[in-house]
This record gives sequence, C-alpha cells and structure tokens, in this order.
Amino acid sequence: MSALKYSSELSMCGGPAPAPAPAPTPGTAASSPGTPSVELHVCMGLNACKGHDRFGTNNCAGTGYCATAEQHNCQTLNNCRGQGGCGLYGDIEAQKNPGNNECAWQGSCAVPIQAERFRTLGPDKGTSVWLQARALFEDRMRKAKRTVGPAPFKCGPPQNWLVSVLGSYDSCGNSGNKVCSFGFNNPADNAKRLCEGKKE
Amino acid sequence: MSKHKFFSKSGDKVTPENLGEAIQQAIEIEIATIPIYLYTYYSINRSPDQDAISGSLAQKLVAKGKTAKEASEIALDLSAEIMVFSNKTGALIMSVAIEEMLHMALSSNLKQALAGRPELVGKSPSVWPACLPGHIPAFDIDRAKLSQDQLMTFLKIESPDPLPDPKMLKAIEYRTIGEFYDMIKTCIDQNDLPFRTFLPQLIEGNGYYNANNIDTVYYDKEHKPHFTNDDGPDSGDLVYIRDKASANKAIDFIVEQGEGSKAPGLNPDGSVNCGAIVPGDFDDPDKKELSHFAKFQEIYCTYKRLNERFVALDIGVNDINQYFVANVAKNPLTKDYPANIAPVSDLLNAVYTYIFVMVEDCYVKSGNTQWETFMFGIHKSMIFILNSICGDIMNLSYTGPDGKEYVVAPTFEDYPFGLLSSPKSQLIDLFNAAVAVYPAISYLGQRIQDLPDAPLHNN
Repeated sequence: MSALKYSSELSMCGGPAPAPAPAPTPGTAASSPGTPSVELHVCMGLNACKGHDRFGTNNCAGTGYCATAEQHNCQTLNNCRGQGGCGLYGDIEAQKNPGNNECAWQGSCAVPIQAERFRTLGPDKGTSVWLQARALFEDRMRKAKRTVGPAPFKCGPPQNWLVSVLGSYDSCGNSGNKVCSFGFNNPADNAKRLCEGKKE
Repeated sequence: MSKHKFFSKSGDKVTPENLGEAIQQAIEIEIATIPIYLYTYYSINRSPDQDAISGSLAQKLVAKGKTAKEASEIALDLSAEIMVFSNKTGALIMSVAIEEMLHMALSSNLKQALAGRPELVGKSPSVWPACLPGHIPAFDIDRAKLSQDQLMTFLKIESPDPLPDPKMLKAIEYRTIGEFYDMIKTCIDQNDLPFRTFLPQLIEGNGYYNANNIDTVYYDKEHKPHFTNDDGPDSGDLVYIRDKASANKAIDFIVEQGEGSKAPGLNPDGSVNCGAIVPGDFDDPDKKELSHFAKFQEIYCTYKRLNERFVALDIGVNDINQYFVANVAKNPLTKDYPANIAPVSDLLNAVYTYIFVMVEDCYVKSGNTQWETFMFGIHKSMIFILNSICGDIMNLSYTGPDGKEYVVAPTFEDYPFGLLSSPKSQLIDLFNAAVAVYPAISYLGQRIQDLPDAPLHNN
C-alpha cells in the first residue's frame, strides 16, 4: 500500500466510501451504476425485500441467503447504521442489538453472523446472537405488517457453510474456534442447544 | 514509572497535602501491572494444535510400553487438558488485565475529583526487572513468558497478605495494595475535601467498561464456553466520583477485585495453598467471580497438577508449557531487535502509548468527543490495532543479545512522542516505517488513519 499521509481532516472519518451493492459472486453479474441499491442487512434471513440478499435471488422477506452489508470481522468496523454484527465485544446494549446499531462503527462484531456465535455479556450471555438478530428483524416486519418466510438455516448460517460460500470467514477474539471438539463433544450438539435458545 | 520515594511531602502517611501524589502512585501501581500481564498473556498460544500434541504424546507413551489403544486414550485426554488449560489461562489473565485497566480509570477518576489531572503517559515501567512503586518488600517483576515462576510473581502482586519477609516488617508503609488503598480511603473519610465534580471523568453508563468479551471466555473439555468475569451489579464498574461514598465505592471495587474479600494469601513459607477455593477468594459479595489472587492461584495449582501428571508418565515432559507457550525472551527491549523488526516494535509501543494519550484526553474532553475518543480510539486501538500487531510481530524471530534464538515479543515500552508534531502524525510516520519492513501489517493503515487526533497533556 502507499504510505499514509497525516491529515487532521481524516481522523475519525472512516475509510473509502463503501460500495452499497452486494459483492459479485461467481455466476452472477457484477453490480453496475445502473443497478438499484439493496437494503443493507447483516445476515441470512434478515432481508426485508425480494432479491435483497448477497446473491439477489431470494423471494420473500426473511428468506435470503446472506448479508448485503460489507463483510467485516469485528467490532467498530461496520460502515453505517444497521450494519454491525454484534455479540462478542461491546456493552450489553450493543450485544442486544445485532444488525440494529445506530451509526457507523457501533456494531460490536463480525458480519455475517455465524450460527455458533453467542453473547458474552449480561443476563443473556451464552445465547445465540443470530436468533436475537432474527427476533429484532421479525419484530420490525410485524410493525410493517409483512409476512416473514423461513430462513434457509433455522438458526442462521453455520460457520462451515460460511467458509464454503465466502472462501474464508473469521469472527473476532483470541479464544479459539467456536465450532470445535477436543474429543469429548459433538459440535453439532452444542450448536443444537444454542439453536434451541439455550445458553451455551 | 516513578522511582521516587512513595510519599515525598509528609512521611509515610496519606494526608490532604500529599493525597494527589498518593493517588498518582496508585495509578502507577495499576499501570505497572498492565505490561506484565499482557506480556505473559501474549506468550500463550490459546489454541495450540491438539492433533500435534496428541500424536507426539501417543508416540512417547507407546515407546514407554503402553499399547496403542492405551496410549491413544491417554494422549487424547491429556491433549484436551492442555487445550482447556492454555485457553483458560489466557482468559483468566486477560480478565485480570481488563480489571487492572478499570482500576487505572477508577484511580484516575479519584485524582481528577480530588487532586488534579491524572498522569498516564510515560508511566509504564522503564527499567526491567520492575517493581511496584512503594511496595515493601520490593520484589523483582519481569516481563516473562508463562511459567510457574511468573505465576508466583503474579500472586505476589495480588497478595492479600503481607509477603513473608521478616527483614522488612519494621519498615511497613504499604505491604499490600489493599493496605495502600486503605490509607487513601482513610484520608478521604477523615477530611472534608472538596470534590471537583465539574471536571470530566470516565463514568458508568456509557459502555466504556465491559467485564467480559470473547477474550475472557474459555471452553471446557466439552467445548462449552465459560465467562471468567462476573458482570452483575456488584461485579465492579466505573464510578463517578462525586462524594465520599462514591470514592469509597471505587476503592472497594479495586481492592476486592484484586485481593478478594479477606481471603488467605500465600502460605507462611511463601508457597501457594492449592487447597479448595474458599468463599473469601471471591471478589464480589455474590461470590460469582474469583479475585485476581484466586484466579492466579487456580492457574498455578492446575499447572502444577498437570505437570505432575506428565512427570508421572516418565515420558520426558517436565513442563507442559512446551506445548503452548512461545519462546519469548525475558525483558526484551526494542533496541535488542534487528533493523527489520525494530520499526514494527516502535509502532507497537507507539500504539500502546497512544492509548494512554487518549485516556488522558478523556479527562479533558467530555460529551460526544470523549465518547468517540473512548469507543473509536481506545477500544479500537486495544482490540484491532495493538492486539493485531502483537499477533503479527510474534510471527517473527531474532537472535537475542545472549546469542539464543527467540520469538519476537511485544515489549510494551512507552514510546517517547516528541512535542514538534501531534502524536497521531508521529504514529502515522511510524506506521509507514514499519510497513516498509513488514508489509504484512499494511491492513492496519486505515484503522490507524481513523484514530482520533489526541494531543499530549501533562507535558
């Protein structure tokens, strides 16, 4: 990269302007200036409109396959309102509001939200972040009097699926892989418990 | 870190006249612990390669006469123990480091309210081995990798009882950190001091302090997550210092989190009591969280028991740290590093120091400016810049002054920002120099560019 230049104007300013359209994927045409923008949301099953998922192929609200917000791997790296993942860092309020942050940099974790991610703070620590994001989304749709279809995966996209689709996937922290076994558990059972709304 | 005598103005007692000096000393005690705990933290690989550990163990066990099935079962069990222990140790040390940062802020609030602006920049230990300012007896504190010896040092730092050193008992001024804070508390209680509530502090309710995050989490053998800090109402938080009651509350948080509520410390002979954790070891009235002392006691004793299990197998493994601890040098300095590494270390130290610059700025600014500086400056620097460079620099190795090969470690030295340009512009210059020798860190450029432009104060 070219050398950074100091400018007092660039502090707290964010990077280059984000591209609002979803990233191109193999087999689909890249966005062009004439392509209508899509609503930016943070994960599978959180789309309000037809064609507003990463692949642009979904039908109803809530049935999309993946985030349209820019992929990022941790807290304070989201571009704007409603584009932060949440769950692993941040205060209780931020962790309650995945995909529902007020402004840029206020999201507290990666986008998209893998099914295995759990909250780390407050009375609900250990519970699924994606289920909370979906609950907030369904509440919003209820207020808008819209019917919501099922998400492709009942409890959000499994991490291994995200890796297969995105090529790589990383969410923050030094505590190790959230989908793992030391030889004494079946990761699928842990994921099932989280999916049922139980605490990890 | 200051090397001057603890109380210079009026003997060995905290008085209204030297209160500011005493609280500043408290701040420097808290700051002194941060590089020590972080250094050891970063020496730990929290996710080592279980297959490699298990395979190596199985081979050694078969060579000692175990059947393949027996060897495999033992190797799986022990390797899982290592996976849990390495991660749990990292989580517990990080949980303590986070609370030390809270204590630094609480002490800074006290000083801001009672005595003057807190001084944080340039207060990290500059001489190694270091010592806790004013602690009697003095004891050496190294920046060192995880080991039983290093954990003994941690236990001395957090000891709720005076350290056993009969030679020094006549010179008591402060033998435990709790004793020291009690002197400050007594001074505040017994005097009618004005509280300068019109100045900015770092206060509760803004999301500045979060007891847990993913780095304070570890997974047990069944890979269920455990949260090492309690986050309930009595677990400790920032406190707005406005009167005697709030000052006492802040001091109680600091002492209880560090030493626990009247828990026994080291054994009289200086050894560690590895009996069951007792209720007094918890730092909160609800008894949901261990004190710093008890957390280190738990790590020390688990480490000892695991080592004993390996030694009993007679397979040539005398210290389990070979499986998950990086071979970093003791007390390295940036000047020891070669020209292709020193600029990266300088950048790392500048980011570390800039965090203190921004915290000082939070005691000058209030409202949204303070909030943005804290959330997008301090948080971002700690988690997404400093933590990232620490990981990146440890991919490098060098030959130390002793001729041995070491993994490069973050040195956490205060970077001496000059006065001719802003610290942030110097940070950017340092980034440009570092990325020229180590392009792998180029991804950090935007994050550094986005930081707030905080000036130096107290100079």
